[in-house]
Amino acid sequence: MQMAKRTSAYIIVLTAGVLMLFLLNLSYGSVLISWDRVLDALLGRIADSPDAIIINSYRLPQAVTATFVGMALGLSGLLLQTLFNNPLAGPSVLGISSGASFGVALVVLSGSLSGIDFMLSGFALGNILVVVAALLGALAVLLLIIFVSSKIANIVVVLIIGIMIGYAINAMVGVLQFFSRSLELQAYVLWGLGSFSKTSLPQSIGLAISVSVLVVLGFLFQNSLNVFLMGKNYARSMGINTKVLQLKILVIAGLLVSLATAFTGPIAFLGLAIPHIARNLFNSSNHRILLPAVVALGAFIALLCNFISKLPGYDTSLPINAVTSMIGAPIVIWAIVKRAKIKQ
Amino acid sequence: MSRVLQIHDLKTAYFVGKKNQRILHHIKNAYVEKGEFVSVLGLNGSGKTTLIRSILGMQKVVSGQITFDDVDFKDINVNELSKIVSVVLTDKIDDAFLKVSELVSLGRFPHGSAMGSLNDNDIRKIKEAIEIMKLRSFENRVFSQLSDGEKQRVLIARAIAQDTPLIILDEPAAFIDSPGKLGIMRMLRKLTYNKSKSVLLTTHDIESALRFSDKIWLLSPDGKFISGEPNEMVRSGLINEYFDKDGIVFNRESLSFEIVSGANNCQ
Repeated sequence: MQMAKRTSAYIIVLTAGVLMLFLLNLSYGSVLISWDRVLDALLGRIADSPDAIIINSYRLPQAVTATFVGMALGLSGLLLQTLFNNPLAGPSVLGISSGASFGVALVVLSGSLSGIDFMLSGFALGNILVVVAALLGALAVLLLIIFVSSKIANIVVVLIIGIMIGYAINAMVGVLQFFSRSLELQAYVLWGLGSFSKTSLPQSIGLAISVSVLVVLGFLFQNSLNVFLMGKNYARSMGINTKVLQLKILVIAGLLVSLATAFTGPIAFLGLAIPHIARNLFNSSNHRILLPAVVALGAFIALLCNFISKLPGYDTSLPINAVTSMIGAPIVIWAIVKRAKIKQ
Repeated sequence: MSRVLQIHDLKTAYFVGKKNQRILHHIKNAYVEKGEFVSVLGLNGSGKTTLIRSILGMQKVVSGQITFDDVDFKDINVNELSKIVSVVLTDKIDDAFLKVSELVSLGRFPHGSAMGSLNDNDIRKIKEAIEIMKLRSFENRVFSQLSDGEKQRVLIARAIAQDTPLIILDEPAAFIDSPGKLGIMRMLRKLTYNKSKSVLLTTHDIESALRFSDKIWLLSPDGKFISGEPNEMVRSGLINEYFDKDGIVFNRESLSFEIVSGANNCQ
């Protein structure tokens, strides 16, 4: 009972933190906009001022995207780690983000080969073509993985095949890169660095809605996931059709990664790190605690990384992947070392 | 007496690849009755675990019929089966950062929904299981930090909480000290007396199996299967035939293994 209270207290504090960071993300940037101006802009009271344009066209979609991509990556990381019973599983291991990269590479880099200039006119921020290509690439790999897992019962084999698919696709991207002009190459590399600011407001809202639906779907499996912690044989003995559950979890996690990657490019480390932070913070593997925890933490950490990447007070900003990796790597190391100690 | 588990003409086998199989046992007829305590005995490699896994459908069998509560295994889905049989396996549970009470409560999963919370009945069953396995003081400890013996008691408590007529345990007392072993066997025996649960387990501990069981299933490496009462097996010399080895002999009076005189010095 006490534990439950502490858990909800943590979640409430985290949610408050998310709200605060969200506002900070709107307020800070290369220009500082005061909080009442932020509110005015959001409510449409200062429709045509430059502040309102900065908020509504740039910072709001960016903050919304960061929030929901953080949720998506955190949740998919947890689902995949439980599914594969492997602490190193994460959104990148299934080759899904490689699939997205391949889609984008095909669109952006094929300009070099065909002579059509997608890039200069096409690769504007949040270009819909790139998003669609990334989504299709990611979904294609997801379908392939689902096909494989319906044929092969051993989930570890599925994991290894996913990693191999990733390598194969990256090689194809490499070939495309080799034959590309430097201009397109640069555009592709920029996409690969990841960014929360490629989305328009309608796109970010679409992302928010689809991620929310998937989060709710994920929550429906909280008890099954707990049973799954004991391994496949025990799960079966408790009435779970493990093959069907694996497939459902794979679809939810895969869609989350596909959506996130399509709109932001591959974001490193968040999906891997967030479940570890959640387990350590809440001292539990219980999914009734972890599911809300990774969602709240995902949003919190993505917004925090975005805030840091803006380098408030400076004119420039850092690539988001540099920030997530610099924060994520030490956290994963800390989390794994701490758990290793506990086990002894 | 109703039969919780009935095995008919079962052929179990090792499978190597798709075609190669080595038949281990042909069991013409065996059953576990309500409230019965059955131990499977046999030397290492005699196929005890294979038999358990075959019964549970975790492994392919060559042929045969298995019925639970008079329903053919082939007509039972995993969900229905989870309300008839609960298991304690030798599978390693490594990373479960779960409290003892949480792990035991997983046993209630078959009776609830994937989403729902525990109801009063669930909580009562969980408390009872924790009480039976004497885990009260462990309730809030984390599973992965427990000793092997403690872990085993938690896993048995989880199976008890599942509240099925039959509990199948694969080597529940392996890696546990002697008092711990006896304690576990006694708790399981009580379960059959007090709650009319049926218990089917594999064990290497021949002495306590003979002492606690209603029935012994004896597996030999050459494929024989014998079912019988412990007394009868001792008296007829079957235990000696199967387990005596290099001057270590089963004493039919004291019901324990002894080093026969003459072989006493270790030279």
